[in-house]
Order: sequence, then C-alpha cells, then structure tokens
Amino acid sequence: MIKFENVTKIYPRMSSPAVDDLSFTVPTGEICTIVGPSGCGKTTAMKLVNRLIEPTDGNIYLSDERGETRNVLEMDPIVLRRSIGYVIQQIGLFPHRTILENIGTVPQMLGWGEARIRRRAGELVEMMNMPLEFLDRYPHELSGGQRQRIGVARGVAVDPPVMLMDEPFGAVDPINRNILQNEFLRLQQEIKKTILFVTHDIDEAIKMGDRICILNVGGKLEQFDSPANILAHPANEFVEDFVGADRALKRLNLIRVDEVMDAHPPLLQATQSVEQAVGLMGEQGLRFMYVIDADRTLKGYARLKDLQGQTGWVDEFMEPAATAILLGTNLKDALSEMLVVDYANVCVVDTQNRVRGLVNTEMIHEAVVESSAAADEVGEA
Amino acid sequence: MLTEATQTQRQNGLWRDMLNGWASTLTEPGVDTFRAQKARADPLKIVLGVGLLGLVIGLWAVAVGPASLTTGTDAIWAGLLRVIFFTEADFFVISLVLFFVAKGFGGTGSFVQHSYLLSLVTVPLGMIVTAFLFLSNKLGLTLAAVLNPLSPIGIVSIFIILFGLYGLLLLFFALQATHEIQSSAVFYTVGAPVLGWGILRVASMFAAQEENLITTEWDFIAGQWEKGTLQELLLGHLWLVAVSVAIAVVLGVMIGVFITWPSRRPQLSHLVILVPLALFLLLWAASSGMLGEGMAVTIKDTVKGWDRSLMRVEGFFAAPLDIVGAIVSKPAAVGMIGAMFTIILYALFLTGEAAGEITLYILGIILTIPSVALFGAMIKPLGTGPFNAAFALILYAQLPIVRNTYTGIKAVAPEITEAGRGMGMTEWQLLLKVKLPMAVPVIMTGVRVAIVMLVGIASIGAYIGNDTLGKYIFEGIYRAQEKRYIAGAILVAALALTVDYFLGWLQNVLTPEGLKGRREAA
Repeated sequence: MIKFENVTKIYPRMSSPAVDDLSFTVPTGEICTIVGPSGCGKTTAMKLVNRLIEPTDGNIYLSDERGETRNVLEMDPIVLRRSIGYVIQQIGLFPHRTILENIGTVPQMLGWGEARIRRRAGELVEMMNMPLEFLDRYPHELSGGQRQRIGVARGVAVDPPVMLMDEPFGAVDPINRNILQNEFLRLQQEIKKTILFVTHDIDEAIKMGDRICILNVGGKLEQFDSPANILAHPANEFVEDFVGADRALKRLNLIRVDEVMDAHPPLLQATQSVEQAVGLMGEQGLRFMYVIDADRTLKGYARLKDLQGQTGWVDEFMEPAATAILLGTNLKDALSEMLVVDYANVCVVDTQNRVRGLVNTEMIHEAVVESSAAADEVGEA
Repeated sequence: MLTEATQTQRQNGLWRDMLNGWASTLTEPGVDTFRAQKARADPLKIVLGVGLLGLVIGLWAVAVGPASLTTGTDAIWAGLLRVIFFTEADFFVISLVLFFVAKGFGGTGSFVQHSYLLSLVTVPLGMIVTAFLFLSNKLGLTLAAVLNPLSPIGIVSIFIILFGLYGLLLLFFALQATHEIQSSAVFYTVGAPVLGWGILRVASMFAAQEENLITTEWDFIAGQWEKGTLQELLLGHLWLVAVSVAIAVVLGVMIGVFITWPSRRPQLSHLVILVPLALFLLLWAASSGMLGEGMAVTIKDTVKGWDRSLMRVEGFFAAPLDIVGAIVSKPAAVGMIGAMFTIILYALFLTGEAAGEITLYILGIILTIPSVALFGAMIKPLGTGPFNAAFALILYAQLPIVRNTYTGIKAVAPEITEAGRGMGMTEWQLLLKVKLPMAVPVIMTGVRVAIVMLVGIASIGAYIGNDTLGKYIFEGIYRAQEKRYIAGAILVAALALTVDYFLGWLQNVLTPEGLKGRREAA
C-alpha cells in the first residue's frame, strides 16, 4: 500500500506549490498511474515517495509484505530507497557495467553473495524473455526495448513490494511500447507489486492503471478513480478535456477479448472430409471457418468457395491464418490488429496457439455499447 | 581530340578565355570554380599558358641573371628559349607525376583536364611571384636580402611564402575538382611526391657523406649516451615528471570531484581535518624556530642527515631519491605548503560546485605564469632544485586535470545519477561506482595533456639546476653550440611523443569495457 496524506511540496523561492495537499491510497498489488499535463508535479509526487524530494508538509505511508505500515519520513532515506523498485525514463542503465552488474546494483548494496546475485539476475532475464548470455553484455549492445526490460528487471531485483516507475516506456517507439506494456501487465499478474506509475500519456494511464490519479498544473488532484469511472464520469471539465473526446473509444482499452469472445465457435477439424465441411458451413450459414487439429492448435482457415465441388480432406484446401489474438489482449489492440489484416473474424488463442474462442467486430461493437450503458446506469444510481 | 566546345572557344579568342580562367580561379578560389573550368580544358591553352610563364621567368632571368645570359642578342634569345623549354618540361613532368599518384588514389579526370587545372594555378601565381622578385631586384635588393625574413625587405619574401601557401591551397582544389577524390587522398597525392623527394634527398646526402643535421645530431646523442650523461638526464627528467604527476593527479582529481558536488555544511566529523593541519603547522613552526631555536636546529640536523644518506644512493633510484631528499631538506616549506593545501582542499570540500567556476579560472591564470618566473619566485622558500621544479609542475598540471575531472563528472547523464540515487546509492557510492568510472576516459585525457605538458616544462627546470634534458638546451644556448640545443629540443619532443603514445595505451586499458563500444558506436 502507498498512502499519501495531505502531502504538499513547495520548492524554495516558489510561491505556488508543486504538489498541493495530495491525499490518495494505492491498495497493495495495484498499479496507480499518475497522469497530467507537464508541470503538474507528477514526477515530484512520485519522488516524494522515495524521498529524492522531501515533502514540505504531510505524510506518506508504505506497507511492507508483512502488512506493517511505516511513515517514509521516519525511515533512513538510503534504506527506504533500497526497499523500493525504481525504474525511470531513459532507463538510466549504467553504461560501464554489464547487465549482470546493473541488475545486481541493489542486491550488491544489500550484501548478497555473487552466486545469489547471478542466480537472481538469470531468473529475471529469463522472466523478461531474454537469453542468459545477455548477463555479460553491456547496455550499448542491447536494443532500446531490451534495455527497457533490463531497466524493469533491475527495478524488481530484490523483489520490493513497492515500485516507482517514471515514464518507463517513454523512450521506445510506439510499437515496442505496446509490446512492453503488454509484457509488463502480464508480469504484474505474477508479481503483484504496488506500483506508482507516472506518465503524460492518458492512453497509457488508462491501459496500465488499476487506478488513475489525474493531476492539474500546481499539483492539484482533479480525480482519483478507476479508469472505467474516469472515462464514464469525468469529475470536471479539466478531466473531460484531458481524457479527450474519444473516451468512448478509450473504453476499448478496459475490456479484454476474453470477456466478449464466443468461447464455443464452430470450427473445422483438419482431418474432416470436404463434404462434411461444406455441409457444416451450409448449416451455419458461414462462408469460411477456422481449422484446428486434434489438440485445438490453430492450423488455418478454409473458404466455402474453395471447398465446393472438391473431394478430399479439409487441410488440403485451407490457407494459413494471418493473425490470431492472444487471450487477455484488450479490445483496442484486438480491433487494431483486425483492421491491419482486414479480418472481420479472428481466433483468440492461448500462448500455445490453441484456439480458445472467436471474436468479431460485431461483438466488439456490442461490448462498447453495453459498457457505456452500464457506466451511465452507475452514474445515475 | 578536340570537342566542339573547344573549337568554339578557340574561335572566341583563346587568350581571352585563358585570362578569364586565371581571373576566376584567383578571385573565387574553390572546388566549384575549378569544376566549372574542367569543361574548358584544351591542350593548346596549357602549352601556351606555361610557355607564357616560361617567357616571364626568362625575362626575369635575363634582367637579373649572370652576364653569360645577358650579353649579346643571340645569347639572350637562346637563354629565353632554354628557360621556356625547361619551364614546359618541368611543368609536364610534375603534372605527370601528380597525375599518376592521383590515379592511384582512384582519380577520374583526364590528363588534359588535370594539366589544364594545374596550369590555372601555376601560371598566374608563377607570374606574380616572378614579378615580385623582379621588382625587389629593381629596387636594388639582392635575392639573399629578399629571402631573409628578418631583413626589412623580408616582407617581400613573406608575400612570396603567402603566395606559395595560397598556391598550395589552389592545388588542392584543382586536384579535387579534376579527380573527384576525398580531400585526404588529395593530401596524399601532394604529400607522397614531396615525401619521396625528401627521402631521396636525405639518402643522397648520406651517399655523398655530406655534413647534415641528422648525422651531426646522431653523433652528438650517441656520444652523450656512451658517456652516460643522456641516461642520467633522461631518468632525472622522467622522475621529476612522474613524482609531480603522481601528486598532481591525487590533488587535481580531489579538487575536480569537490567542485562538482553541492555545498556542504561543516560537521563535527570534519574535525579529522585538524590532524593533518596541526601536523603540518607544527612541522612548519618547529623547523622555522618558532618553538625554540634548539628544536629548529635539531630538525635541520636530522633532515640534513637524511638528505646526505639519500644523496649517497646511486643508479636507478638516485633520481627519485634526489627529489625526496630535496623535499625533506626543507621541512618548513613542506609544513607551510601542506597546511595551505589542507585548508584549500577543505574549503573546496565545503563550497562544492559554488567554487567551480572561480577555481577553474584561478587555475587558468596559474597556467599563464611563465615557468621561469614561477621557478624564480619559488627560489626563496624552496631553493633551486627538484622541490621547486616539482612544486611548479604540480601547479601547472592542475588545470587540465581539474578541468577534465570536472567536465567528465558533469557530463554523466542526469538520468544515470538519478537512477543510482533512486536505487539507494549513497553519494560516495554514486561517486566511486558510477561518476568516477564513467569520467575515467575524460580524466585520463586531462592527465595525458598534463603529462605531455609537464615533459616540456620540466626541461625548463634545468634553468634552476635540475638534471633534465633541458640542460642540453640551456648549455647549447650559453655556449652557442647549435647541435647541443637542437639535440635537446629533439630529445624533449621525442620523449613527449613516446610518453603520449604510452599514455594512449594506458588510457585504453583504464577505460571501462562498457564505455569503449559506446564510443565506437557513436
């Protein structure tokens, strides 16, 4: 848990505060994104937690894994910082140290043995889907996305309960950022950290946050709520403007394909005969169907017009599928993937490429309409 | 093989076209001007242009030359024709050599284009230079007076040198325009024949057993080596630099580090500083007689005993122990200087970056003090000899070392220091594990500059009686022995280059692995 209690920061020789009477609580295991225009004090607010900046007034509390709550102002700043994972913009990897030494920075300061550090670093590198030999490379030998993953690995090296992330994906291109965001969300499912995540990008804030803290210039808290509520019921004009006119579309970020897909779609077996397949398609009124093998692995799709008048087995006439969507993907990414390959129907698969369902544009449309209606009901109630 | 374009040009007036060419290359020097002239290349224009230059040179030769050339019409005509012929021949031979070298570097121009552009440089400049020589002769000046840059007429020769340099520049442009090769290749195209000529010239001097700079210097240096004096001076020189640099690096890096951090408040633990300060002050007070004459005499006697026993050491360690001896024999000065530096360092430790600019400014001023003056000013407290020299060298080395430590640390990207701090590094850990290792390449560059500079200044230390290579220079000047001071200068320069090369290697070794690749990638 991270708890801000009437926290104010006024920099010396400044009349207006950078952070103004901020109070909110991030429950354990959740990501809270802090978002706002430049000059809103979001980075300042974050640095107050590990006391890189000292507050002028107010208190900040952290609770550790044993549930003990401590006031950060009463802790030694060095001990405090070593107990908080810290990932920043531009990554800040040490260029003169290997990946192993970079990840081992905090463990080494905490007095871990060399073997233990190497073991832990190896674990983390594998968790980030990178080969073990990266440990002995230098940061400049890695790509931007790989460096970013190492930055995250360094942040979680000693398994801290609380993490601070300051625009951690700011320095990579949009495609890689999307990949990294998804990877990190998946990772968070496992590690369940309490995270304060600073960003200037409202889309990222909606996508990454279990809760969003919207700050205005001068460090004023405008709204602190779940992404769905912020999209449905912006507290005031500022939030409404900041969230943008396309907030209905942004809601796509909040719904995952698992929630809307057809979990029992009609499918063809690769070993089925063509006659059987044509019959099945006629029954269902479909012009094409996806093909799977015995353990539900996606093999491709077959079109009615290719099968009609033929004899033999389905797999002789099928074509490979250009894309499939991973379970847990949000609707925004799913829809954009479908638009890219120009498919109206697409399979939802798990990490072993086994078909778990089917999603189409109509289902997505319905889901958005439903969620708006539901949000409005909550608002009226 | 004449193109239509050249045909029309000839009809339009060949001489006027040539004049235009010279004017444009002289008034708008540049590769593009030459490129534009490339299309107007014409063998006839080359021959005529160079012939004209030959005629001008011939006329000058007739006007100032020996009697055999200038008496009788027939002799004059024969002389003129001979000069014109040789001018043409020389021009084409040189042009041909340059052409083949340029081809070797991948040149693309034809020989006619190549020669024409060269003639655009040679002919007008050659005529101007000849005119200068002619004028100076008419003014009653001999060639010797003209070529002596120190004579009042030397101004003429300076003009000629300037024209020569200008011609060299134009030659570069012309070659680049003709052959469209990289400027480095142009440089080698001109340099290679000159180097070849130089090597042939030296070889011929040796073959003819002529007296020359190389043999006289070699003989002198070999003679000094056999006597053992050279080794002694070389060791003395190196040890003086080594001892000074060792102290200067510690001092300079400390100052450089101090002036990069925020100011600090004095703390109780800082009282540790009183220990060295008290020791230095005590040493100074005791040895200068303030605590009683008897104590001062005892210290002086003890120190003299050490000094004497140090002086008895011979061989490799004689030089360094000589420096140590010179230092311990002046306990009062050691105490005073030690106390002074302790106070300065502590002051900088507290002020931090607030004193950064002013510190660098003061060190810059120190560097402008002439070394002879600094040696002289320090004779009273430090005497003549290695202590005085080392003190001056340490001061001089401060600017490059402090400045590079300062910039090296300041150049560490803020997100890197912030990451370190945010992960819970203390300021000292941040300094020792992040900032300093990352600044090593920059600091080493400063140390390298300092060392090479000190190798030079240490030779002036000979002025106050230090056994350094500078001894040859001063002795040579006093005794008016050319070979002696030239040998001194050559040896100092060679030593500086050798040391610099070694330091380059050392720098590479000390640079953290991770920073090397990044530099190459950048």
